[in-house]
Amino acid sequence: MRKPVFALSPRAANRVRLAAILSVLGPGLVSGFADNDAGGITTYSVAGAQFGYDLLWVLLVSQIVLFFTQEVGARLGLATGQGLAGLVRERYGVRWAAFMITAMLIANVGSIVAEFAGCGAAVTLMGFQSWIGALIAAVVVVVLLTRGSYKWVQYIFVAVGIGVSLAYFVSAVMAHPDWGRTANSLVIPRLSSLPGYWVAVVATVGTTITPWGQAFIQSYVADKRLGPEDLVGERIDVGFGALLTNLIAAFILVACAAAVFSAHTQIDTNSPGAVGQIAGALTPLAGSAATALFAIGLLAASFLGLGVVPLTSAYAACEAFGWETGVDWRMREAPAFYGLMIFFVAFAAIFILIVPAGSLVQVMLTAQMVNCILLPFVLVFVMRLSSDRTLMGPLVSGRFLLIVGWLGTALLVVLSATLLVTSIV
Amino acid sequence: MLYLSQAIGRPVRDQQGEPIGSVADLIVAIGDKYPPVTGIVVKNNGREIFLHWNSVSALDAAGATLGTSAIDITKFHQRPNEIRLKRDLMDRQIVDIDGRKVVRVNDLRLDEVEGSLHLVAVDVGASGLLRRLGIEGPWRTIARGLHRDVPERYIDWEDVDPVERTIASVKLRVPHKGLAELHPADLATIIDQLSRSDRVGVIAALNDEAAADAIGEMEPEAQVDILEDLEPERAADILEEMDPDEAADLVADLSDESREEILGLMEKDEAEEVQELMEYDEDTAGGIMTTEFVAVPKSLTAAQTIDRLRELEPKAETIYYVYVTDSDGRLAGVLSLRDLIVSKPNVVISKFMFDEPVAVQTGASTAEVTEVVARYNLLAVPVVDGEGHLEGIVTVDDAIDTLLPQPTKRRLPRLFSRSGQADR
Repeated sequence: MRKPVFALSPRAANRVRLAAILSVLGPGLVSGFADNDAGGITTYSVAGAQFGYDLLWVLLVSQIVLFFTQEVGARLGLATGQGLAGLVRERYGVRWAAFMITAMLIANVGSIVAEFAGCGAAVTLMGFQSWIGALIAAVVVVVLLTRGSYKWVQYIFVAVGIGVSLAYFVSAVMAHPDWGRTANSLVIPRLSSLPGYWVAVVATVGTTITPWGQAFIQSYVADKRLGPEDLVGERIDVGFGALLTNLIAAFILVACAAAVFSAHTQIDTNSPGAVGQIAGALTPLAGSAATALFAIGLLAASFLGLGVVPLTSAYAACEAFGWETGVDWRMREAPAFYGLMIFFVAFAAIFILIVPAGSLVQVMLTAQMVNCILLPFVLVFVMRLSSDRTLMGPLVSGRFLLIVGWLGTALLVVLSATLLVTSIV
Repeated sequence: MLYLSQAIGRPVRDQQGEPIGSVADLIVAIGDKYPPVTGIVVKNNGREIFLHWNSVSALDAAGATLGTSAIDITKFHQRPNEIRLKRDLMDRQIVDIDGRKVVRVNDLRLDEVEGSLHLVAVDVGASGLLRRLGIEGPWRTIARGLHRDVPERYIDWEDVDPVERTIASVKLRVPHKGLAELHPADLATIIDQLSRSDRVGVIAALNDEAAADAIGEMEPEAQVDILEDLEPERAADILEEMDPDEAADLVADLSDESREEILGLMEKDEAEEVQELMEYDEDTAGGIMTTEFVAVPKSLTAAQTIDRLRELEPKAETIYYVYVTDSDGRLAGVLSLRDLIVSKPNVVISKFMFDEPVAVQTGASTAEVTEVVARYNLLAVPVVDGEGHLEGIVTVDDAIDTLLPQPTKRRLPRLFSRSGQADR
């Protein structure tokens, strides 16, 4: 068969490369970076503002569990070249796949709502109505989907992400935190019977380790066509990503502990002033401009999440059901993919319009809790698949990794159960 | 008509109607247009028993009934041409040849053909999915109430190409015949959607020429991935089939180790050609030219030249231009195919050739080449060295490629985006 001389794929000319946004960093770094989305920043802030340094140990534990879950996810991608949802379907059939995807989609819709809430909270800080935030968020998703120019977007994201991190780092240092206490709290768990303690613990874990992060890392590794020979590189990438995420989280928490908690300000997450209060963590750095700085950071963090979570969700569902997926397709060619996207945006937007502006912080926290509660349903599949020798070959989970992985999963179940029990009692 | 999902898990009864287990899987023999069912796997107390299809008297949505009382309970051994439908096909990815895309198997449809049960179609529609989830009935009721259809979609088994590794192990009977008939660009798009090992499986089943054409349509990084995953001998065979300029670009991107190994395994003159092309700078006429062109001595007649074309055609990249060389191999003129055909057979070509042909030097920049091609409206431009020896030609498609935006140095990850050739 001869190649026609003038054969140019009509679609080749203006294809969209969404993933270009993520091309600078490795999968683990991207996944870790995106953990500090609107929900993440808010949760860490509230944790620090409400409980001071007490929750630092949760960050350390989360980081360890995050490393192991991401490592397993990356390994699954390396060994099988397939995404999580597709793999679950092949190994356990349609029903289990549908079950897992349902759990994941509920969690992800929660995350998307949280990003919208982040936008809403950010614009209220700037003095606008929260629906403007929802509008901005919806526009961002649509632009990300239809425009391919991620080159500059990614730099803005990374720059803002680094900017926010630096701001918190400097602010934390300038607030003269109790460093001894910081180190101490990091390794020694402090339990508390204060109301809201377990909510903060579960939300912190839930915002760090997420169902979408699990699907994301595996698909990303598989789509990059990395193979078993990339194992070491991926482990470094994942480890670095987990470390960086939690380092940023720790500075946010310490900054809030030093600037807000020490001032003995009570934070009511259901009050309209909550966002402004946690923005106070940046006061040592920015003074009266702290609120504006926080609003910008929160907005950017929301965009970061909006750039990854809706796509990952739609991608996973379509992959398992064999539907056309990805932004290469036109609307008509991939109705399920775009349908899911429209649903996500519409649901989140309507939700934000209904919820009173004062509850936006609570909405973000609740979304992280939902993530944590649904996470075990995803992790169970990940752990089981990773111990399947016929599937994994030499990359099969060793005994140590299996024990750690299952322990982490069990820990999440216990956490969620504790939260449910304490909230009922 | 029976769907596999309706049979799986149903009871198996012996002649007397006593239950002896449940249907675990069905086995078909591949090779025919519609593969016949040759056996049934019965699950009995956690153990799998294989029963030959002869001993089954009936199979439907209610279960299976056996026609013999003597049961051969030997353990199932898969024969080379047999696959298990549930284990090997259900929920797997297949290529829909007609639709030219990769889809997932929701269910398998079996039909009675000439007295025996055959696999006839793959269900990839919503109805199959709903059936597997056990909610087809209620869903249909709701859909009827809303006056909506439940979309059904089947792919005839003939138009299906299984790509999974498990099935590729029986690749003798999965010749990927359908895939080989696709346009290379479509095939490249499909291969691009597959996981790494599945890609190698598909390439393994194609002949060298089809594989070369498909690989030629892919983005450079994918080409390198695939070539390095193949057996070096096979990679060498495929490279020999590619246009030398494409092959040279590809070989240049390989790791040093694979490059030496693969070049060593290629036929000597092909390897030399590739190596020569690799020596030219990528951004020059030499770097983008191909050495597969038609050149004839100027002493030939029109009829002799046409005969020569018939011999050479399968290899040359374009035959619309026939280049004419003198006894030293210097470019002396050019003929169009039309000139040749309209001339009298016995006229010597030097009489009517265009004897001031446009040519570029091997060191000319690609921008220069493109400009020449555009200015003179050429389908190809000859490339000559300092002494005027004809070294190769640059075809218009290769010239256009240089105008397209260059891919960034590092490979962009393509999550969410299957942009087959977008990076070129």
